[in-house]
Amino acid sequence: MDSIAQAGFTFVLEEKKEISGEDLGLLQEKLLQLNWGVQHPASGPMRLKVWVDGDEVVKVDPDIGYVLRLLEKLVEYRTWINAIVNVERACFMDNFGTMTGYSIAAEKIAGVEVPKKADYMRTILCEGGRIVSHLVGLGSFVGVLGVHTAMQWALIAREKFLDAFELYSGQRIATASIIPGGVRFEPTGKFIEKMTKAIDFLEKEFFPRYEEVFLDNPTLKLRTKGVGVVPKEKAIELGLAGPPLRASGVTSDIRKDYPYAAYGELDFNVVTREEGDAYARYCVIFEELKESAKIIRQAIEGFPEGEYRTKFPVKVPPGEAYVNVEWARGCFGFHLISDGGTGPYRLKMGAPSFANLWAIPEMMKGIKLADVPVIFASLYMCHGDIDR
Amino acid sequence: MGPWLKALIFPGFLFLMLVFLMVFYVERKILADAHLRTGPYYVGRWGLLQTLADVFKLLQKEFIIQRRANKLLFSLIPFVAFLMVAILVAFIPFSSSSFIVSTSFDLLIALAIVTSMPPIFFYAGWASKSKYSFIGGLRVVNQMISGEIPLWLSALAAAVFYGTLNHIEIVQDSSWLSFIVLLPAFLIFITATLIVTDRPPFDIPEAEQEVVYGFLTEFGGFNYMILVLSKLIELFGLYGLAVTLFLGGFKGPILPGIVWFLLKIFALYMFTFVVRASTPRIRMDQLLKFCWKALTPLALLNLAFIIFIKMIFA
Repeated sequence: MDSIAQAGFTFVLEEKKEISGEDLGLLQEKLLQLNWGVQHPASGPMRLKVWVDGDEVVKVDPDIGYVLRLLEKLVEYRTWINAIVNVERACFMDNFGTMTGYSIAAEKIAGVEVPKKADYMRTILCEGGRIVSHLVGLGSFVGVLGVHTAMQWALIAREKFLDAFELYSGQRIATASIIPGGVRFEPTGKFIEKMTKAIDFLEKEFFPRYEEVFLDNPTLKLRTKGVGVVPKEKAIELGLAGPPLRASGVTSDIRKDYPYAAYGELDFNVVTREEGDAYARYCVIFEELKESAKIIRQAIEGFPEGEYRTKFPVKVPPGEAYVNVEWARGCFGFHLISDGGTGPYRLKMGAPSFANLWAIPEMMKGIKLADVPVIFASLYMCHGDIDR
Repeated sequence: MGPWLKALIFPGFLFLMLVFLMVFYVERKILADAHLRTGPYYVGRWGLLQTLADVFKLLQKEFIIQRRANKLLFSLIPFVAFLMVAILVAFIPFSSSSFIVSTSFDLLIALAIVTSMPPIFFYAGWASKSKYSFIGGLRVVNQMISGEIPLWLSALAAAVFYGTLNHIEIVQDSSWLSFIVLLPAFLIFITATLIVTDRPPFDIPEAEQEVVYGFLTEFGGFNYMILVLSKLIELFGLYGLAVTLFLGGFKGPILPGIVWFLLKIFALYMFTFVVRASTPRIRMDQLLKFCWKALTPLALLNLAFIIFIKMIFA
């Protein structure tokens, strides 16, 4: 509020103010405070307080906490293996990434070696989760521009992957399938077959159709090119994560930098763009889908024989571990502490969406009101992940 | 048929209601097809009665007026809007005999009605006393005024070419030659129609992700239905105008005139739906730039071109 008064604007708190005996309502106000959120078609369960001067945004203030579930605290009351159900609920879009990160951290403390088959299975599931999450990201990005076709197409492709997950774990979304010590279920030939079919559909039907209509779309380019530009230095300064960071030209990918699971043995590229605008972020998400499909194909090809899990001890010796994984929305950090008990003593999750959220006030200065949803969607955030 | 029966039944109220139920149904089905979905399916055969069911649902809803709202204006606006667009349809000849009124100033009156719509929608937004409605109301004025000038200029090009403002005379004078000469004017008219009636990709005043539902945000139930219906009728009226002015109206071989008229309108609607399924919404400043820097000069040039053609033929 103070900074707005300094900028030379007066903000009218009282809505009913009479001028020469007549109530002119909103017409007399210089600045309007819009509550872009909580109950809004495009916001999800969070609120942006947006102050607008006509069509121009003066200031944006994010207000979060509507989906706080105390996941980190709940983990303390669970055993080492049960804790995955809380960890995976950080964001249901890509639940495999968070479970993998937690499991690797727990294995580090316990000193457990995971069999190679489990590593490959984790890779396949993580990339499947990334594809599922990125598809919804693409759809909702085009969705904020008023076209719902992209979302419907993406959901059809997503459904094939969810079918594969269902076959594997019995659940479509919250699968609880990666545990400390390996993966929870035997990866069957049927699952591999279903996954291959899903990728075939993605590569042969979804990509060509989507690319033709929604990537080379002139109106979409008109709307998103040059919107919410973040240069390379600024992106690092703001602490962006995941696809938005890579869209600003920073080659940062935990899968390449600090390989975990089977990523060290597979061949893939880190997708980057130089422009740093909303369209670049959208393109990065689309290109990463292709890379993920490539990774899954390689992992299926080199799928090793052997055990899919090892015994994880009930009591883990005291210790501490910090693990980063490349989650669908960016680098997800797990700081896990054990006091020698049957469950985690403390867990702190460092979320990429939370990092991206605080770039919003900086990025949304002096833009048009119509660009608020575009920038918001291009940052590719998950509300469950922001609040945890 | 007397003019009263005509106004109530055939080219009038009942017929239009039926047409709109169908337009809505077809829009849903075609959008669903683009989305690779099924669309309305369960109510009636092929889901034909789905729109009717939705209308009855809206009729049952409570009549809600916001506490701060200007009550008289808020409840009056939908009916004023409906009355005005109904006047627009009265001047459209669906066939050589089925029209409600015909004067020598048909086109002028129709365009004047379209021009007087922005204040109505602005009042609808302003009377709601809600921030989103207010912004939507401001946007609608901005957009409609900048769209109406190319609309007038391109429609007047047709009037200049035919030398009359009477719709029936225009249709009777039309030919393949007039269609080709007026093709640029037709394209400008259709674009301006999409802008004036805020259809996608120009649905800026009711951009869901920005201002919830623009000036329609606070309306519900019957009021909402009437307001949405009047927006639909405005589009139908303008497309009817486009068919009359540029596409030869009810003229066509074998089939009766009314069928040809509806077929031509249907083709225009198809175009609208396909654009809606694939084109993202553009921004207000981009729209204004497009209207004032591209569409209006083009419409002016086109008018000069038509006058030039007229001089050659004279």
